[in-house]
Amino acid sequence: MIHFERVGKRYRSWTGREVLALDDLSLAIHPGEVFGLAGPNGAGKSTLIALLLGFFGPSAGAVHIDGLAPRRYIERHGIGYLSELVNIPPAWRVSNALYRYALLAGVSADTIAARIEATLATLGLDEHRGKRVRQLSKGNLQRLGLAQALLCEERVIVLDEPTHGLDPVWTQRFRDVVDRLRRPDRAILIASHNLDELARLADRVAIVDRGRLQRIVDVRANERTVTANAPYRVVVARGESRVRESFPDAHEISSGEYEISGLSLEAINAGLVALMQAGAVVSAAYPVHSALEQQFREAVGARTEPERAS
Amino acid sequence: MSANASATSGVGRRRSRVGRYALWQLGDYLRDRGGPTFLICILFGYLGAGHITAMVARQLTSAPQKLIAAYGTLEAARQAILHDASVSFLRSFLGAVVFLAALLATNGIVATDRKQGFYRFLFAKPVSPSRYYGQAFLMHGAGFLLVFVVLALVYGYFITPVLTVSLLVGLALMYLCYAGIAFALSASARWDWLSLVTVAVAASYCWGRYGESTSPYAGFLYLLPPLHKTTEVYDAIASGVALPWHTLAWLAGYGAACYLIGLVILRYRRLAII
Repeated sequence: MIHFERVGKRYRSWTGREVLALDDLSLAIHPGEVFGLAGPNGAGKSTLIALLLGFFGPSAGAVHIDGLAPRRYIERHGIGYLSELVNIPPAWRVSNALYRYALLAGVSADTIAARIEATLATLGLDEHRGKRVRQLSKGNLQRLGLAQALLCEERVIVLDEPTHGLDPVWTQRFRDVVDRLRRPDRAILIASHNLDELARLADRVAIVDRGRLQRIVDVRANERTVTANAPYRVVVARGESRVRESFPDAHEISSGEYEISGLSLEAINAGLVALMQAGAVVSAAYPVHSALEQQFREAVGARTEPERAS
Repeated sequence: MSANASATSGVGRRRSRVGRYALWQLGDYLRDRGGPTFLICILFGYLGAGHITAMVARQLTSAPQKLIAAYGTLEAARQAILHDASVSFLRSFLGAVVFLAALLATNGIVATDRKQGFYRFLFAKPVSPSRYYGQAFLMHGAGFLLVFVVLALVYGYFITPVLTVSLLVGLALMYLCYAGIAFALSASARWDWLSLVTVAVAASYCWGRYGESTSPYAGFLYLLPPLHKTTEVYDAIASGVALPWHTLAWLAGYGAACYLIGLVILRYRRLAII
């Protein structure tokens, strides 16, 4: 449905300085899929999304949605899009803003009112309908941005940092909203820094860094695969003194909490059995990093923030 | 599966109801730009025309009887003096405010959306930028005329009636001239109002300085907007005589060409500001 074919994007300043934002990136997103996009700051995520929306063209390669150039597809069908920065004219009122976007989205005259009401209710904006955009809090503005993206039954939905600014309750509800958006003929692309969120929502996640596609992680398969020697955390409720008998290299993080590194899954299991047989009560054992996070760390490496920014 | 192979023709095209959106664009103009335009014009008008009726009354009381007799009646003399004062005022008033009103109507019409990022949600919908902004240009023009109709009615109530078809046609074509240039600049540059003022000043200077030149290079002047001709139009509108159609066609044609260039720029230029 969405194809990036050997896409490159080079920005050139007035002074002739060039920045390579994307380099030889190929990607396919299929109908029915929730596809995640992860990467450090400056990795090329925003450029990739702007290319998908046809806000500018690639310097090399091609982007297609359903076989059409992005602008052509969007001007024919439209897409649901939430940008990282929610830019809506501040003088517009919430309900009027949705009415305007619904008109432009082509929502029919007989369904427009019901559609707006349903969207306001779904995103908890009912009580804010009469407010001007400039009066909204960051979280409410984010929800308004999401509301305008969901006004129409689009076949392509692009959400850039969708939970940015949302409180924990709405972050959780957002996951329910995405679950309800799943449809066999719909492709959903979510770009986020929040790997835990991507792990919960996405079927596959592309990790992009320095403008290049580093790897694509099949999230469901990845959950069953434990990366060798991944660090684990073990928490004991009783019998702390026994921990080092089973895990001699365990590093104490806090009282009753230990980090174990460099062991296979089998070794960890054997150690836990020995620990419990010795009379300790284990209250938790979990990987320090989620499977996706582990993949991310491997793909992006242990670069420092300043290096990433450059 | 290649991108082309995946092309689906079975999914129907969804039409944006951008035509219905025209009323919102007109409302935006009246609230954000039409109101200020009206207030500025009223202020200028009051400063320039507020004393006209008092001045006419003063002139009539001090005029020799012979002069009044030449007009036939006192009312005819009053009308003639009022007409002359009104023509003189309208000539300078229109020259200043029509340009200003057109500038206000089109300032940032495209550039603001691009700078502020409003384009992102607008053009994720099935609507093309050229259609959206082309329509906004026309709606702002309709609002511009509406403001001048109200101003003409106010002027007619306090001074003397001026609302005629030729006034509206003249103003509409002048809007096309100024706003067409501003539209093309807004579609292509960030600082559109500054660009428009620069173009207007440069064109007026160049036409004034080299307009009579016989040099073969003088032909390049025709690339510049013929803004030195606008006084002819304002004179005709103010005097209520026949409009100089040849001049108006040149001015409006230049603006219309710029408008079309603006639409083409919007069709092919990237929306994002990098």
